[in-house]
Amino acid sequence: MPSFKLDDAEIPFEPGDTIIRAAHKAGVDIPHYCWHPGLTVAANCRMCLVEVDPPPGRPAMMLDVLEWNAEKHDYVPQKKPKLQPACQFAAADGLVVKSQSSSHVTRARAAVQELLLLNHPVDCPICDQAGECRLQDYWLEHQGTRKRMKDEPIHKPKGVVFGPTIVYDAERCIVCTRCVRFCEEVAKDPVLSVRERGNLAEITVSPGRELDHPYTLMTEYVCPVGALTATDFRFKARVWFLRSARTVCTGCATGCNSFTDFDPRTQEVYRYRPRENLGINKYWMCDEGMLDYRRIAADRQLIASVDGKPSDREQALARAAELFEGAPPESTAVVLSAEHSLEDNFALLELAKDGLKTSLVYVTGRAAGQGDDVLRDPDKNPNTNGVKKLAPQAKSFAELVKDAADGKLTHVLSLGSHTPADAAALAQVKHLVVLASHVGPLTEHAKVVLPAASWAEAEGTFINRNGLIQESERAVTPRGDSRPAFRWVHELRLALDRPPAWKKLGELRAAMQPASAGMTGARP
Amino acid sequence: MEPIDQELDPAEIELPTEPMLLNVGPAHPAMHGTVRIVMELSGESIERCDVQVGYLHRGFEKMCERGTWTQVFPYVDRCNYVSPMLNNVGFALACEKLLGIEVPERCQWYRMALGELARMSDHLTCTGAMAMELGAFTPFLWMIKGREMIWDLMEEETGARLTHSFGRVGGMAHPPTDGFKAHAEAVSAHILEILAEVEQLLLGNRIFLDRLENVGVISVEDAISLGWTGPCLRACGIAYDVRKSHPYMKYGEVEFDVPVGQTGDSFDRFIVRVEELKQSVRIIRQCLARLSDSGPVNVNDPRVILPPKEEVYSSIEGTIQHFKIVMEGLKLPAGEVYAFTEGGNGELGFYIVSDGSGTPYRVRIRPPCFYVTGGLERVITGAMMADVVPAFGSLNMIGGECDR
Repeated sequence: MPSFKLDDAEIPFEPGDTIIRAAHKAGVDIPHYCWHPGLTVAANCRMCLVEVDPPPGRPAMMLDVLEWNAEKHDYVPQKKPKLQPACQFAAADGLVVKSQSSSHVTRARAAVQELLLLNHPVDCPICDQAGECRLQDYWLEHQGTRKRMKDEPIHKPKGVVFGPTIVYDAERCIVCTRCVRFCEEVAKDPVLSVRERGNLAEITVSPGRELDHPYTLMTEYVCPVGALTATDFRFKARVWFLRSARTVCTGCATGCNSFTDFDPRTQEVYRYRPRENLGINKYWMCDEGMLDYRRIAADRQLIASVDGKPSDREQALARAAELFEGAPPESTAVVLSAEHSLEDNFALLELAKDGLKTSLVYVTGRAAGQGDDVLRDPDKNPNTNGVKKLAPQAKSFAELVKDAADGKLTHVLSLGSHTPADAAALAQVKHLVVLASHVGPLTEHAKVVLPAASWAEAEGTFINRNGLIQESERAVTPRGDSRPAFRWVHELRLALDRPPAWKKLGELRAAMQPASAGMTGARP
Repeated sequence: MEPIDQELDPAEIELPTEPMLLNVGPAHPAMHGTVRIVMELSGESIERCDVQVGYLHRGFEKMCERGTWTQVFPYVDRCNYVSPMLNNVGFALACEKLLGIEVPERCQWYRMALGELARMSDHLTCTGAMAMELGAFTPFLWMIKGREMIWDLMEEETGARLTHSFGRVGGMAHPPTDGFKAHAEAVSAHILEILAEVEQLLLGNRIFLDRLENVGVISVEDAISLGWTGPCLRACGIAYDVRKSHPYMKYGEVEFDVPVGQTGDSFDRFIVRVEELKQSVRIIRQCLARLSDSGPVNVNDPRVILPPKEEVYSSIEGTIQHFKIVMEGLKLPAGEVYAFTEGGNGELGFYIVSDGSGTPYRVRIRPPCFYVTGGLERVITGAMMADVVPAFGSLNMIGGECDR
């Protein structure tokens, strides 16, 4: 593999890589604002300037400058190299590049940083970006001085509503055009552009339009400063109080890799952020997925209920066991859920096989929605492929409704909260026990409801639409009385006097192994 | 009835004795801080004893791993709480060593002057309390009067009498006040007067001398092998003073002597401290003479020093600098360092490990009196019960520092 020299490090690269991309792949950071690995090169922020030595035998491109010398009280002629933006300069074999080791580069970066902060408002205390802001990080790393300009800074519009999800602050903006390029290149909806020039430049929405495509929150995500903020997250939390769990988005079958940011003190989830995975979502997530964290707290089934009345966990469990004691296998069924993890579904399936001795298995999940060719999948369940893998014989929800209406089912143990179609027929099932994280059509008709933990409150494994197995970490502790569904199944089996072979999550996963064998997997 | 005046051979009268087990502390007023001594007494002499420390353990080192490097200063204040300024400066020097920065000269003289004042506060307390515990209440009151003056000065400079939290990585919280030099000079002069009076009262006092001389003796070999440093080691005749042996700040540029004792008994420890008080005054006067009235106190390094408040509120650069240091904490480069200074009781060392983040990875303190207290058992075994109090007092065990 060809390589070039960056300061003291030898950086390998693939033909076509720029200096910054090769360094980024090698884990070496060259400071930058406008460059983003998933977007085209704009080279407008000038933060990534580096000094590139000329080819052997060729003179360096030097600029003649006059520099003020405080000692001589006069201008002195100086030479300095023409610096190159690392984001645009193609890597070449044997290239010698100086980044931090060149005083010309460090001076240029300090100057760029000073310029970018020239008209910046004193907003850190009220800015949501504070704590993860490039301007803050780079000021300390590359500038560290006060600006020399004494004039009143240029004032520009603040709090401009770009659309239902995004608010823009032109004073904080450094016009790196990442948001403009994102809309054009990834979301394929070029709704943003730059207007004016120089220190009057600002981002603007096309006349007559709003920033309302399905990927608007990514413009906030790519913004390296606090110019674009999400209406959803504005003023909700300070980021240095948040911790991140490495999770998988459960909004659809794509299985985008995400970070779940939560406050460990209150165990509240505040937002999702995309987690880089070039095999699935690259750097991005859709708005629907980004806002899906809200379902962790909304419409939750937090306490057990028996015959529609709130109950404590033990009583509900005892009642459920009582209902299923001696259930006739020919009219007993379990319903798997494409919303839940492999662990939950596997535990339930195992109970059906050697606990309830039935082979009647159905599957439920959320109704289909919109999809596109960027990330979104019409199947809004994260684990449809997982359920298929575990129980290829599972019948559809429509068949469940039909069989229930025909009175073929007396005992049903169901996982999941949502149904793809009308579930009124389930009222016919005499003994319906539901393991649900959310209130929905299933809990409505249930004799006993056991509150299950949501995806953010339990470890889980999901198989996405491409057959990739992915583990998702637990972010917060289960809310209310809820607990992971596989844990409920475990307790139900103890109550039914049919203890399972596993006790802990690790043992459950080991027992599950043959079911998921032969598939490619990814751990967070 | 038997006759009372029996003819008895005195040799036959042997009182049946067995060793008595006596617990002193941890809440005994003579047990400085909280320490417990279990003694096996034969009559009044101590046959065996067991010194138990740790009653004041707060988890100092673990606490340091929670906040930022700056947030360690209040904790080190509470180690040796009689001379917190020495701890503050010692910790700041450790951080600065890892950062590879040196504070401006003005700050170094200021730190030295404040440090020597703190050392005087420490020695005055120790020697005064020793005298009081032997019944000499007047010298105690006089010395505490002197300490009050020091604390008044500290309050003037730092805003707090005892727990100043005044040190900062890269400087001090504030520059010296306008009246600092005059005030410090007045305090020094008063303390010299007090010392002269105290010496007149005590050093010709038969009771005082008899209670200290040749009591609580420790051999040089024992003291060294136990890791003793500071006045207690110097009382044995070893002139080890970090300020002289490994000069830091400007100690190499000031003149002062290192007083040593001869026998390593309680009296030597007392008199070494009294002499050190005078040496501290010498150092303070030289510091005051060389402390300039203007110039920077803090290093000019945005990585470690907070910007002036008015810049925080009016400029984005000041806001960012403030934000980075307060929210993320100043960052020490990854690595480890041991830095040591002469504390009130001897070599005060900080061994710090940084992982490059704003939070300490590990802070280990070498509190001088932990090692000194380790020798207490040897000092008092074989002595009389009544000698425990002055011998223990002369070691100057500070609970907060020893137990951490």
